[in-house]
Amino acid sequence: MLLRSIGFTVILAASCCAQTALQIEFFEKSVRPVIVERCQMCHNAKMKQAGLDLSSAQGFVNGGASGPLVDKQSPDKSKLLKLISYDETLKMPPTGKLKDEVLANLAAWVKMGAPWPGAENLVAAGAAATPAPSKSGVRTGGKNFSKDEKEYWAFQPVKKPALPTVKNAAWASSDVDRFLLAKLEAKGIQPAAAASKLTLLRRVTFDLTGLPPSLEEIDAYLSDAAPNAYEKVVDKLLASPRYGERWGRHWLDVARYADSTGNDEDHRYPYAYRYRDYVIDSFNNDLPYNQFVKEQIAGDLMPSPDGKSTNTRGVVATGFLALGAKAIAQQDKMKMLYDVYDEQVDTVSRGILGITLACARCHDHKFDPLLTKDYYSMVNYFANTRSFKDSETHVSKLLFTPLVSKEENEKYQAYQSKIRDKAMLVEDIVDAEDSTYAKKQLELLPRYMMAARRVYEGKEAIAKVAEETQLKENIISSFVRFLKPAPGSVTPHLDEWHNAPVEQLEEVAKGYQTRLAKSMTDWQRTLTRWRNQYRKMSKEMNMPPPDKPKLDEQKDAFMKDAFGGRGPFVVRSGDRKSIYAKESLEKIEVLNNELAELKKGAPTEPELACAVDEAMPKPVDQTILIRGDYNSHGELAPKNVPTLLGGAKMEPYTGQGSGRLHLANWLASDENPLTARVMVNRVWYWTFGEGLVRTPDNFGKMGERPTHPELLDYLTADFVKNGWSVKKLQKTILLSSAYRMSSEITPAAFKADPENKMWSRFGRRRLEVEEMRDGLLKLDNKLDYTMGGTMQKGFGTDGENSNGRLSINPEKETRRTVYLPLRRANLPSLLNLFDFGDATTISGKRNITNIAPQALFMMNSTFVADRAGSIAKELVDDKTLSASNRMERAYLRVLNRKPGANEVDSALSYIDSYKSKYAQADDQKAWQSLCHILLSSNEFIFVD
Amino acid sequence: MFHPVDPIQEIFRRREKPLSRRAALRAAGCGFGFLGLASLLADAATASTSPGGPLAPKKPHFPATAKRVIFLFMHGGPSAVDTFDPKPRLTLDHGKPLPFKRPLAFADGDAGPLMKSPWAFKPGGQSGIPVSDLFPHVRECVDDLCVVRSLVGEGVDHGAALLQTFTGSSTFVRPSMGSWALYGLGTENQDLPGYITIKPTLSHGGAKNYSSAFLPGAFQATPIGHSGLKVADIEKEPIEFLMNKKMGPDEQRFELDMLQNINRKHSEMRQYDPNLEARIQAFELAFRMQSQAPEVFKVENESEATKKLYGLDDPKTADFGWQCLLARRLAEKDVRFVQCTHSYKWDQHGQLFNKHTENALEVDKPIAGLLKDLKARGMLKDTLVIWAGEFGRTPVSQGGDGRDHNPYGYTIWMAGGGVKPGFIYGATDELGYHAVEDRMHIHDFHATVLHLMGMDHERLTYNYSGRDFRLTDVAGVVAKGIIA
Repeated sequence: MLLRSIGFTVILAASCCAQTALQIEFFEKSVRPVIVERCQMCHNAKMKQAGLDLSSAQGFVNGGASGPLVDKQSPDKSKLLKLISYDETLKMPPTGKLKDEVLANLAAWVKMGAPWPGAENLVAAGAAATPAPSKSGVRTGGKNFSKDEKEYWAFQPVKKPALPTVKNAAWASSDVDRFLLAKLEAKGIQPAAAASKLTLLRRVTFDLTGLPPSLEEIDAYLSDAAPNAYEKVVDKLLASPRYGERWGRHWLDVARYADSTGNDEDHRYPYAYRYRDYVIDSFNNDLPYNQFVKEQIAGDLMPSPDGKSTNTRGVVATGFLALGAKAIAQQDKMKMLYDVYDEQVDTVSRGILGITLACARCHDHKFDPLLTKDYYSMVNYFANTRSFKDSETHVSKLLFTPLVSKEENEKYQAYQSKIRDKAMLVEDIVDAEDSTYAKKQLELLPRYMMAARRVYEGKEAIAKVAEETQLKENIISSFVRFLKPAPGSVTPHLDEWHNAPVEQLEEVAKGYQTRLAKSMTDWQRTLTRWRNQYRKMSKEMNMPPPDKPKLDEQKDAFMKDAFGGRGPFVVRSGDRKSIYAKESLEKIEVLNNELAELKKGAPTEPELACAVDEAMPKPVDQTILIRGDYNSHGELAPKNVPTLLGGAKMEPYTGQGSGRLHLANWLASDENPLTARVMVNRVWYWTFGEGLVRTPDNFGKMGERPTHPELLDYLTADFVKNGWSVKKLQKTILLSSAYRMSSEITPAAFKADPENKMWSRFGRRRLEVEEMRDGLLKLDNKLDYTMGGTMQKGFGTDGENSNGRLSINPEKETRRTVYLPLRRANLPSLLNLFDFGDATTISGKRNITNIAPQALFMMNSTFVADRAGSIAKELVDDKTLSASNRMERAYLRVLNRKPGANEVDSALSYIDSYKSKYAQADDQKAWQSLCHILLSSNEFIFVD
Repeated sequence: MFHPVDPIQEIFRRREKPLSRRAALRAAGCGFGFLGLASLLADAATASTSPGGPLAPKKPHFPATAKRVIFLFMHGGPSAVDTFDPKPRLTLDHGKPLPFKRPLAFADGDAGPLMKSPWAFKPGGQSGIPVSDLFPHVRECVDDLCVVRSLVGEGVDHGAALLQTFTGSSTFVRPSMGSWALYGLGTENQDLPGYITIKPTLSHGGAKNYSSAFLPGAFQATPIGHSGLKVADIEKEPIEFLMNKKMGPDEQRFELDMLQNINRKHSEMRQYDPNLEARIQAFELAFRMQSQAPEVFKVENESEATKKLYGLDDPKTADFGWQCLLARRLAEKDVRFVQCTHSYKWDQHGQLFNKHTENALEVDKPIAGLLKDLKARGMLKDTLVIWAGEFGRTPVSQGGDGRDHNPYGYTIWMAGGGVKPGFIYGATDELGYHAVEDRMHIHDFHATVLHLMGMDHERLTYNYSGRDFRLTDVAGVVAKGIIA
């Protein structure tokens, strides 16, 4: 509305100054051709880039999304002129700056009041007929949401539907089955037969723990004839610590978990692992999902369960927000911050709500009822949350949060401050001595400059010059280094010296001396100021004291040369003994000893987490950023949840701090239809290989509709009723007949439902990379079951071409894959090869490919060969086994089933011919080949 | 919308319809399992389908002038005003302050004074395009170059600039240009990966610069070593897992036959699952790949004259020479997209003269060798060679003898593949800071490269998370002016 009236005023203004024929002629001759040639290819009626159409008077009158092009009151300030001046971030036309005379013509035209033939008649009617987009590009309030939008299925409250009636009630062993069967019966499709016992055991063991069953587990299950034998297995697996490692990893996909910042410098997140361990623990302990969500958004703001002042678990949980990819060397720090908020909004909205709110950063969502205002309302929570220790430094500093009570942390910090103060006392003496030395050098400056010139200009030997002038040789050579003119450098501060006639050189040198003397005094003042500030800030807790200032070449390049690096005024630490006063040296020694003592008594550093906190220097009043540009502010976007999803009925958060708890409470509320639905669907997807909604991260219009909306709601209602227990939900699903079906596809079932959207059979799936690697390691008993902790060493990053930038090679490790640290920029190639994803954006669904390079890994990697070798060794070493027993054991171990008689025969004859052809009768070698085959087989890598 | 053939659907089609003669013969060649397939061949074998799954060759949107691309990446950011964009005004105003406000730079502190180029420029070839003394060999090839002096990016730090150069986005992880090319066109040679990056950098985004991001993994680049490794080490195993160090090919084929036998029996009992067949095919492809691919890496088999042409006889040029020569060998085998990286050397915040001299020396002869060799073999006409850094460098000095990053107007060049030869496109301002004429944003550059490869950047889309993504996001204009 606002803009419409502004636009209206402008046009009215235009209309009152009648366009003269001369002006029109000028427009047609000098302006329109430029607009046609340089603007209309994008700003035309069809493309309307930035909402602007310059192909007609009407379009010009309407203006663009960021307002009118011409400011009639102050023509000089017109947007049009700014854009074409190339002085702003946005430069138009993007294909190249307009020529100066063209610019002048356009400026003149704007000054005339931008006459455009026909525009004046369009004013009233035109502006009313085609309203310009509102200034912020958002719809106002909830008024414009259409009926369809309001009634969109995913946003409706969850209602537990009645159970459908089915004919084959015997098959439907659970409520889940009744929903599925009702549809199957309607379509006349038969559900598949039940899977065999061993197939089911293999399936459920991989699904719940990411590992194959052991021989003992197979024996136990086969010999248990109890009717609830399967249920016992399910209970046992759900209680296994391996369960959390598998299901925690699923969530880590959603949380785009990794152990470094990725993007540019790829700095390590040294404490990311605590968040990972928290996720694994939460799944193992069946932490209610709503609490899990709440902690990840605002755990630091929730009371500690153990009554301590710091909720350490809650702090760690906010790693969910803190561990995204960040471009910390980005120099446009505002852009960096807004990219971080964007990343947080994206992870929260897609991960928890299944909505793509980040699409509304620059404009209202194109398909879903999500407003730009909604986006910035959510940004507002994060813009008031601290994600960096210091974002303003050249490479922004990551935030590490102490996991101890406030008091304990303060004690630690106070002691650190004492250490810093002591170190500063040493620094005081060093600086004073250095300054004394520099003053002495200053007196000799003209002589040194002259001497250096004799060397680089007069080509005299340094030693000779030094002897004759009684000056120090190493200092002369240092002067030579920076006074000698060099190709490829620009040293305007030395021009005077280089250009001076010989007879004036000494005078010029004295001039340098005078200027340097002044700079040195200034520099001492700067240092004193820094000292005071340092001592003051050292005592404050939250901010690190400032680094020592650096000499600024802009201020005095000559001084920077003389005092920097190997400059002649620098006292290198090795030379201190010969230059410093004796008593200073003694004092330094005493202080250094005291410092060493002090450090010995220091309390250990508190444990840290990569988390977010509330310590913002000052609150941010977040506005809508027009077109995502942080320089273009629209109206305020108060902290609130998306309008249509509940924001319309909720008071925005106006209290102290970030207000993340406000957001978290809403996300985790029983009334929020999305949070629970999205998670139930994820659990279904992670169990069946497809979701009831097949786009688990997108429940919006561009996502798919649920195949079984009633079932989804039924499970969701139960999920919430059961205290958001993921394990209970899983048990319901796992005990269904549907889960226990065979994966066989009958021609009829295939014809009726090729994509298995009716779930008439279980979907066969390829192992994920973790299951494959961990499974292989388990098969030859090499898997290390140690839980938690970190395998990542070091802080920060490594040299650009250093191997330190690589992730740990999973082929050389034996811990479970979930514990291997992930350097985002260089993920292990094994993970890349087998569709792990990029660990940078939320990945609720992994790609599955079957490509040749994967086959090369199976065929040629040492990793697979080693597994085959050691399984073969165990088989061959057991001399009690007959050949066919041995073969049965191999099949049972690797494929978790007994081979048929003909399979045994065929495999044994393979062993025989292999032995004679390639193994010189070596049993081990032949069996290794057979094991290699089994490990590489489709049957191993696919779960029926 | 552009939908490349879905591998899964493709195999379905094959199962539903008869297998092609070729596929049938291949299956027969596997030894075991042919009988299992026989039933599938019961219907007359007529239809011709292309195996190769997601990488099967696909028709471009329109005829392509560039069948393949060789991207020579100068990591660190070579200076335009010292290489291909001479600025007399800079020489005149040497030492004077920058006459306008400096845009966002990488370094802290204010801008240094203007600094002239320490290198002389001389016109080369018939076209007379000036090239500085840093590139005397490339100057000999200048009549083949299309020098773009007006590239514009958004990242002032390496990470953002690399990501944008390779993926279009300076902020988010997106599929790389080569992945898009592969996704759109597939590859002609199933025995080699279709997208190869030689000695890629580990830093500034690392593998994200050649990843397929949300496109299926089949479209990611295959790295040949990385920037931290020596050629001699890479030659031992250029592609991970490509060679079996313990078994000869006969023995391995024998083992593979048994595997395929087991796999086929397994899949016969499991109808209508294209993934099983896809994986069986993947093993056959892998076996062919490992017997065919190593040959292409035997750079030592080239003639002495060729090796010399690329500078393999000189330790200074041997590394990049090897990269360029390998790139040509890969291009010859129809690898769709090849990248060579002169890793993180060009970042001269200081010591511009010494270091740029050294860097140019390392690449000048190999690059010229590549161009001459491609031309002599008639390959330059349909191979697009691109030379680019992630940005250029400022005309103002940093620290007296260096230059800071400048993404606001810098030079890249292209050769072959349908670009105008001996041609200069675009211009920067008098000082070489901003592109002012025919500005080519990185999106435009990407749109143009795809165009040369026969693809409309607006139609090459992939639906991910409910949105159609493309290499050029919502921007990009094909620079028609550079197309021959």
